[in-house]
Amino acid sequence: MSEQVAVIGGGSWGCALAHVIGSNGFPVTLYVRRAEQAEEIRTLHTNQRYLKDYPLSHNITPTIRLQDAAPCGIIVMVVPSKGFRETAREMGDFLKPDQILLSATKGIEPGTHLRMSEILKAETACLKVGAISGPNLALEVMAGHPTATIVASRYNEVVAAGMQILNSTTFRAYGSQDIVGVELAGALKNVMALAAGIVTGIGYGANTRSFLISRGLSELIRMGNHYNVDPMTLSGLAGVGDLIVTCNSEQSRNFQVGKRLGQGESLNDILGSMQQVAEGIRTTQSAYELAKAFREPFPIIEIMYKLLYQGMSVQEAKLLLLGRPMHYEHEPERVVPKRETPKSLPFA
Amino acid sequence: MRNEDRERAIVEITGRLVDAKMEAAKQGGVPIIEVINDTIYHEQQRLRTDRSSPNYDDDKSFWRKIQRALPRASEREIKQMLHRTVDHFIREIAGNFNPYVYQASVQLVPVGLGFLLNAVSPFRLLRQLPHLPSINDHMMLTGRIESLRKLDRKGTIVFVPTHSSNMDSPVIGWSIYAMGLPPATYGAGLNLFTNPLLSFFMHNLGAYRVDRRKTAPLYKDILKEYATVSMEYGYNNLFFPGGTRSRSNMLERKLKKGLMGTGLRAYINNLRNKKSQPRVFFVPCTINYQLVLEAETLIDDFLKESGKSRYIIEDDESSDIRKIYNFVSSLATMDSQIRLVVGQALDPFGNHVDDEGESYDRRGRRIEIERYVMRDGEPVEDAQRDHEYTNELAESIGKEFARDNMIMVTHLVARAAFSLLKQKNPDMDLYRLLHTGGDIELLTHKELMAEIEDLQTQLQTLEQRDELKIEPSIKEQSAERLAERALKLFHSYHSAPALTRRGDRYISEDMRLLYFYQNRLHGYPLQSKAAHARAA
Repeated sequence: MSEQVAVIGGGSWGCALAHVIGSNGFPVTLYVRRAEQAEEIRTLHTNQRYLKDYPLSHNITPTIRLQDAAPCGIIVMVVPSKGFRETAREMGDFLKPDQILLSATKGIEPGTHLRMSEILKAETACLKVGAISGPNLALEVMAGHPTATIVASRYNEVVAAGMQILNSTTFRAYGSQDIVGVELAGALKNVMALAAGIVTGIGYGANTRSFLISRGLSELIRMGNHYNVDPMTLSGLAGVGDLIVTCNSEQSRNFQVGKRLGQGESLNDILGSMQQVAEGIRTTQSAYELAKAFREPFPIIEIMYKLLYQGMSVQEAKLLLLGRPMHYEHEPERVVPKRETPKSLPFA
Repeated sequence: MRNEDRERAIVEITGRLVDAKMEAAKQGGVPIIEVINDTIYHEQQRLRTDRSSPNYDDDKSFWRKIQRALPRASEREIKQMLHRTVDHFIREIAGNFNPYVYQASVQLVPVGLGFLLNAVSPFRLLRQLPHLPSINDHMMLTGRIESLRKLDRKGTIVFVPTHSSNMDSPVIGWSIYAMGLPPATYGAGLNLFTNPLLSFFMHNLGAYRVDRRKTAPLYKDILKEYATVSMEYGYNNLFFPGGTRSRSNMLERKLKKGLMGTGLRAYINNLRNKKSQPRVFFVPCTINYQLVLEAETLIDDFLKESGKSRYIIEDDESSDIRKIYNFVSSLATMDSQIRLVVGQALDPFGNHVDDEGESYDRRGRRIEIERYVMRDGEPVEDAQRDHEYTNELAESIGKEFARDNMIMVTHLVARAAFSLLKQKNPDMDLYRLLHTGGDIELLTHKELMAEIEDLQTQLQTLEQRDELKIEPSIKEQSAERLAERALKLFHSYHSAPALTRRGDRYISEDMRLLYFYQNRLHGYPLQSKAAHARAA
């Protein structure tokens, strides 16, 4: 298999991943859409728009031709979930069955409810597919702050190949066979990040955010049960790990969108001013469709959907969420009735 | 397997297995002496209860000898013992296929169902000779038959049919013959060989023996190797990927991958040996019955919690000649056809294959499939990777099953009645409903007809979307006529009908059977009209 690695997508995470792989000594073909961006990476070894002044590895060769990925043994997909299928389909024209495909895109396709790795299998002849996910903010990775990620696939060969190109002293790679759990957690945590951003935007403190993260995790676990996901995956890097970082960091795009919503800006205004995609918005739609199909309450997902797609106000959303019936923590069906408030106290 | 190939195969399989076990032991795996000991243990455990086994005495003395000699054996002798052990198993498995007997027996199968009657009453056979039910009148072969014939010339075929009855074996055996294809090699449970009627067809339609009581891992390895080698020799194969007959009559969703993986191994070996036609094609088929011969036993077994793990049923309807007679009579007198649908051929990785044997991805682009197994330019096996490839294949076969599952009138009417009864008894769980028949157990003519009509429409939509197949009469006939036909069928064979009419009302006399037949529709997005109306 060719040692050459291709990274498809020149956003912040695509460039950062190409940098990690290139710094490990692997030649990287980086596909970007804009010619001037390719030129900047080729000549200045930077990507000012997304990664400030951080210098990129010299092992990166930028290209604007997708088919330049054809001879690469391993291909890492980092394009927004919205254009993911189309890009995969285009690549399907030249990909061969022995190539390894890894998705670093986090999302679930609305309508089909397919995970990104499933789309890769549907649109190409490749079966050896995997996913990369973890608490990985691009700028911190570029700054060399130590962190870790998960490479998940049902194929041991894919897990090994992914770990070998990614692992370094500042970027530790772990393996997992639970690709469903890793991808599901990676996608759903973005919905929770939007919600965490909102409570922060309203001005609530750490208590509220922690409350939201915990209840968000509970929804993630219940969703995972429908897919026979290993609960250990959800308590690991791709689950809790990623959830903590996205729900707390100003660098997280989903958190940012949520925060501005909480501060009273409209969704259209926020999206109009952003250079990058907040995946959580699209994933909220898929998650909502799943919640309906599973016929089980997923309050945060449902309220986020109403807020983003049905014009519910932040104030209404808050009342709806906190006004739900009381129940046991891990048994939503075990409801405790509300007690009548006494009209007047005796002997008062 | 032809006799001239049989000896060659036995030598090949024994050689491969002994080499593989020696190599594994050398790499720090299970030592040979333990492999033999483990096999002795499993065999002795079996012999303790399996006294009726035809080779009981031979087996017992064989294992005793091995056990006695083992502790004092040198390394060379241990290897010889492994050799003898494998040889002992393989000779029992490899059937004695005689092409002349095959030709003779398939000629007989067209009157095969009548032939079965012969065993019940030779006089009746003579008296009714001109009117005997012929399988030709009761079997309908549909689907991609022409494509299958072409593929047979391009590589090795592995038939993977659904499994709901012991009738499946003769049915598919005859179908393969009727399509003009060479016989397929397949493993059939030893219990099928003990039934004189089925055994005749088994033996002569290419079956090899599988003794499910033999649980030694080595025995299972030999079975897999037998299938692999026979494919490499170009013999078409047949497995029931569900492993055993569907107890609930639901379409198999969980498929057994052990034997399925042998297709990929044969393909890799063929590439290594530079065979001119290395490809292996999996052809899913669905076998669809109006009535299932063993329905009562199967559903009972499904509903018994303890019975779910029961793998071998010896005392079911297929060992009762009277039952077979009744079943065949009902086939003859009703318009009860068995429909076999030949599905889309797949490669060992689950991709669609065209008539030329080429594989295509889901966007219709040709795939160079040899690259799935190449490493540094050479075809290689990789147990973990190949296991996952087989999972992909199993998933694809499952999807094809769902698409080619043909809904018969008995399934439709059972579904309509069962979903109405469930709604009328909302507080009852499934087991209580099946046990008691429900507090409200009568259905009106009007409500049943409305439900059938609505299901007809929904099923036609699903068929148009290529999500399942329906028996043509479901499109053509009125709900009244369909109900009438289904009721006649339910009355024709089972001891109590799944549904019967009393004046203007309908009632189930055997809820388990009603449940059994409606289960064929399990897993499809169907809604009950009555429930829908109530919700609205």
